[in-house]
Amino acid sequence: MTTMPNNVIEISHLSKRFGDIQAVDDLSFRVKEGELFAFLGINGAGKSTTINIMCGQLSKDKGSVNISGMDLDNCPDDIKRCLGVVFQNSVLDKDLTVLDNLRSRAALYGIYGTAFRRRLSELAELLEFGDLLKRSVGKLSGGQRRRIDIARALLHDPKVLILDEPTTGLDPQTRRLLWDVVAELRRGENMTVFLTTHYMEEAADADFVVILDGGKLAADGTPLELKNRYTGDFITLYGVDERRVEALGVPYEALRDAYRVSVANTAEATKLIVENPELFCDYEIAKGKMDDVFLAVTGKKLTGATRA
Amino acid sequence: MRRLWALTRRNIKLYFKDKGMFFTSLITPVILLVLYITFLSNVYEDIFLGMLSGVGITVPDKLVQGCVGGQLVSSILAVSSVTVAFCSNLLMVQDKVTGARRDLTMTPVNSTVLALSYSLAAFLSTIIVCLIAAVICMIYLAAVGWYLTAADVLALILDVILLTLFGTALSSVVNFPLSTSGQGSAVGTIISAGYGFLCGAYMPISSFSDGLRNVIMFLPGTYGTSLLRNHALSGVFAELESLGISTEVMTGIRDSIDCNLYFFDNNVSQGVMYLVLVVAILLCAGIYALMNAAAARKRIK
Repeated sequence: MTTMPNNVIEISHLSKRFGDIQAVDDLSFRVKEGELFAFLGINGAGKSTTINIMCGQLSKDKGSVNISGMDLDNCPDDIKRCLGVVFQNSVLDKDLTVLDNLRSRAALYGIYGTAFRRRLSELAELLEFGDLLKRSVGKLSGGQRRRIDIARALLHDPKVLILDEPTTGLDPQTRRLLWDVVAELRRGENMTVFLTTHYMEEAADADFVVILDGGKLAADGTPLELKNRYTGDFITLYGVDERRVEALGVPYEALRDAYRVSVANTAEATKLIVENPELFCDYEIAKGKMDDVFLAVTGKKLTGATRA
Repeated sequence: MRRLWALTRRNIKLYFKDKGMFFTSLITPVILLVLYITFLSNVYEDIFLGMLSGVGITVPDKLVQGCVGGQLVSSILAVSSVTVAFCSNLLMVQDKVTGARRDLTMTPVNSTVLALSYSLAAFLSTIIVCLIAAVICMIYLAAVGWYLTAADVLALILDVILLTLFGTALSSVVNFPLSTSGQGSAVGTIISAGYGFLCGAYMPISSFSDGLRNVIMFLPGTYGTSLLRNHALSGVFAELESLGISTEVMTGIRDSIDCNLYFFDNNVSQGVMYLVLVVAILLCAGIYALMNAAAARKRIK
């Protein structure tokens, strides 16, 4: 029998205003333990404000933040021990070596001496940076620096790893490494990953997605639920005549060597296939993409949603 | 305590590894050195000899060089103690610019520890630079004319420590609200360019106009320079007195090179100079503590 995982993050009715701007407006959501949680929204939607409040960097106007069973108002330092953050841009000291950087940051969590060396060794193996320890962070490549950023976030073995657009500007190899590490941490340590990203294919792999718009929760659910709710299905038909596709009486678009028919849901797709078996000899059915979900929910496209 | 030390060590390393910041902080002492080499030493030598020849006294060249060297040494230590502290304490601004500050405050480290680490690192970095400078200065004095006693050397070190504490406390207050590299550069440049004049390191305050002199007497750093002057030259003065130079002439010499300071015509004793410095240090430290407390409260609210 499997047990339902606990909520590791509970945000209730969170609000934050900067002057005339309501950055976060009555926001509530839950993140389950061990989950890959995607937090989506265009710039200015309230993602960073929410994360900054969670990390104790910003005060909140209203609402409550509970992380790992602790209230932010009562246990800010204990909550900080639960969170590891990988920022969009590296915030390590470029003039110091990797070792000096990690040693100085580990000390802030009370990790010294043997405990530090042991953790460093584990992380160096996990992230493959053992040969970089004596090099200045400023002299590392973007991918190497990213690995050190992740190591820094994992130094104190946090329960929740916050990844703030972690793959922006990374080469495919480092991106792959990052996601492999995240997968291993989730599998091995049941670590919860809180992800903000502009890349919808990354969000599509999440267990749960929250979409913010104008500081408010615009939509939430699993990627499947969101796709079912906000986009239809697409049937791609191969080797058919356009007149016969047109005769179906449903919206479609011509591709180079096929036609893509839009239907409201999988049930309607099935009905169409059953009613026109002679037409559906060579075809594919696919759900809408997270880009379509985001566009349908917010009416906006995420910048950087497509990448080479 | 270990967290404070870890952060302080990081800050010190960053200061010495950031060549731009390190060399910028040495600009003022270097300017001073260039000024002395090019003309100031000759000017002081001429003034000193002129005052003595006016009363018909000739002194050995070693004594003249000891006097001019004492002025150079006291000026270098006076400006270094403050400008190096200012520049090394700019790390608190740089951390905001690079985002490192955000990374540090994400940890459970106390904001008081973070604030203290910047000041402690600035103090230790400055002391390291100033003590190295002091050793070089002593070697120079030994070469041109050594008249210092062990007590003078200890007093000089105490002066450097006090002035460094003052520079650290003042720079902590001034740098605290800065948040961009432009603001940091502006403060660094203004301090590097202006402090040497304001504290009387480039030119004696006695040579300034009455109005400017009265304004400068409100600045605590002035008293630190004067203390350094007194201790760097006390051996020279003792030697001059042993040659039978009158009290009036000695007072004139002391006045001309700011060993005697007058606050609206009242002679300021060395005890009062120490008191002014200590009060200024405590005042700046108190303001810095209040600024940090206010910032922490603002973040929590």
